[in-house]
Amino acid sequence: MSLEKLLENPRVWRGSRQVDARSGLASGYPELDRCLPGGGWPLEALTEILIGQYGIGELRLLMPALARLSTEETQAQYDHSGAHTEPGWIAWIAPPFQPYAPALQQCGIDLSRMLIVRPKDDSELLWSAEQALSSGTCAAVLLWPDTLDDKASRRLQLAAEKGHSWAIAFRPLNARQQPSAAALRLELQSTGQGTRVHVLKSRGGRPTVLDSLL
Amino acid sequence: MPRAWKSPVTLRDTAPTPAAEQQVLPFAESVPPVKPLSVAPTQVKRLWFCICLPNLPLEACRETASYERVLRATSVGRETASYERVLRATSVGRETASYRGLAIVEEQHGIHRVLQADAAATAAGIMPGQSANAALALLPALRLEERSPVREQQVLEALATWLERFSSFVSIAGKNVLLLEIAGSLRLFGGLPSLRRQVSQGLAAQGFSAAMAIAPTPLAATWLARAGRRSCIRAEENLGPALRKLPLACLDWPAGQRESLAGMGITNIGDCLRLPREGFARRFGSQRLLELDRALGHLPDPRDSWRAPERFCADYEMLEEQSDRELLLPVCRELLLAHEQFLLARQLGTQRLCFSFFHLKSTATELRLGSAFADRSTDRWFDLLKIRFESVRLQEAVIAVRLQSGLSQPLQAETARLCFDTKAGNERRRYSIAQLAERLVARIGGGAVNALTMVAEHRPEYAWKVQNPLSDGSNSTLNTRDGIKRPLWMLPEPALLPADSGYPLHKGCRLTLLEGPERLETGWWDEQGISRDYYTAINGAGIRLWVFRNRQRTPNWYLHGIFG
Repeated sequence: MSLEKLLENPRVWRGSRQVDARSGLASGYPELDRCLPGGGWPLEALTEILIGQYGIGELRLLMPALARLSTEETQAQYDHSGAHTEPGWIAWIAPPFQPYAPALQQCGIDLSRMLIVRPKDDSELLWSAEQALSSGTCAAVLLWPDTLDDKASRRLQLAAEKGHSWAIAFRPLNARQQPSAAALRLELQSTGQGTRVHVLKSRGGRPTVLDSLL
Repeated sequence: MPRAWKSPVTLRDTAPTPAAEQQVLPFAESVPPVKPLSVAPTQVKRLWFCICLPNLPLEACRETASYERVLRATSVGRETASYERVLRATSVGRETASYRGLAIVEEQHGIHRVLQADAAATAAGIMPGQSANAALALLPALRLEERSPVREQQVLEALATWLERFSSFVSIAGKNVLLLEIAGSLRLFGGLPSLRRQVSQGLAAQGFSAAMAIAPTPLAATWLARAGRRSCIRAEENLGPALRKLPLACLDWPAGQRESLAGMGITNIGDCLRLPREGFARRFGSQRLLELDRALGHLPDPRDSWRAPERFCADYEMLEEQSDRELLLPVCRELLLAHEQFLLARQLGTQRLCFSFFHLKSTATELRLGSAFADRSTDRWFDLLKIRFESVRLQEAVIAVRLQSGLSQPLQAETARLCFDTKAGNERRRYSIAQLAERLVARIGGGAVNALTMVAEHRPEYAWKVQNPLSDGSNSTLNTRDGIKRPLWMLPEPALLPADSGYPLHKGCRLTLLEGPERLETGWWDEQGISRDYYTAINGAGIRLWVFRNRQRTPNWYLHGIFG
């Protein structure tokens, strides 16, 4: 049996095939884009960002990409029909503080496309996130869950694929040990000079450490 | 002005000349004008009761308690930012109960001017035409409200619905005029004086001051009511003399036409009727002539009848007590299907539904559903019901279910896109943002789903506000000085930081100030004024913070935001 024939077998999983042709969304940080397999954030998937404390730069990391999502018709490039799609909404589910409108606008985000949801508990949070992701109207869904087990992360991943949306979950550092279905997991740690971004898991890519990215 | 005064006289003098006989046929009743085409005036004798509400803007505002719910839906995001500040300036630090006096303001050429004021405000010297600021200076506890035509219309419709008890024919004839046809109601209500008393007492009890008049034609009744004559004309032959004396000011003709008529020395309807018909029509339009003819009853004056919106209410009684939720849902679906049929036949939709589950002993469990747009589709309502039903606790078994719909409104249908390539088109969007918001609200409650908007304000805590995600509110921005970054995370309240010999401490270590100070000293006009020096600081963990030092009272340090 030749090697080619063996590889044609659908039961053989090849890591390199996972990086499909559709490119990621440029993050606005070229150094980070180079490390990510699609050349940017993997859309239509779950991204996990592990942080020790809030304010370490987790929002600054996302802002350029979110600004593009809220203003440009970025979804159109995946729409094979070429139909017009208006810019998607950005849902913030259970943010720990108040996202400050003037600062968001300074970052170039269209405020009229923000949806802030404050659910009462974790089950409502996951339900809201799943609804927002699968609705097809939200370009990105940011969520701050207290806990997120592998089953829930799998559901979010599937909802993101279904609704062509980008899920971003912010989790504490101790979640590093837990398994997750996320396509991309980043860990943010502050050093004296700046913030170190550690790519823990990247579907189709390899783990890297980026010092002082922010 | 002898010339202007004389002109009608000369016209009248020329009238009897035979040559001009046909053209200058006066309006006099003895010589009826050209008989209307072939439309014979209806033989049924009609009597019109007109209710004119001159103080509607003011009174509609007092009604806020009962209409608040409707209002909130309509008025979100309407006010301008600058005006809001005026309102806030008056309201900060005071409770709603401590307002004295009420004035309605309307924007004229960019200035808010008082349109109407209530008794307490008038006693303080507030008069129509004053600017809002002048009124506030006279009476600082004054409550100012912007005139809202939507609210006035709603009050008028509610009154029309109430008036339907007196007559089967109620008509809304303008911004503040209601008409009732009462010829058929006289016997039931025990005669005209009794009917009139019942209406006026009912209006007074609801807090409306109204001018009322009764006449055989709707226009005559309207004009008499506007003129403030409490007249009651039952016979058509008395109509002419009563109308002749009415000043032209009570007709809602354009001001320009009234002025030119006044310039000709014509001040009342009688003068108008004496003018030659053709010339009058040429100068002022045939519409004016038509109105005069209709008022006098020479031509028929058809009116639209007001119909109160219908509501759907249906019960479903169980054969036996039912406590299984899975079996209750099909019953609700059954009711929703009947509701859809009801609305479909009338081309209506509704925004609110109420399900009541009746129990044998305890009080009924109510479940209210709301939708962002008027809708009648069973599937959408059922979807929302299922989400809500999960969180409802039924105390005992259910014996009956009732579905009541809210106010129905004309359905705004949307044209679907003709999409041949259904594969890509349908997959993408499962439902719109409105539907998403609806579903989220149904499960986690209305206050928990919001959108953001900016407010033109220098005080950081007031520079934004939440709004309904479905209203497209105006986004008033203020140009901040370039290069001054604002933090992405804002604390709900500034948090006091401990200080060590003048330097702020955060989590036990001293903060390093990077940028600043940016001095914000504003808001002196209300009691929430600030005077602060803002700095960008960095803590030991490398997190950048937005801190400020209060300059007003004790010079404490506060943490206000985090540059996420």
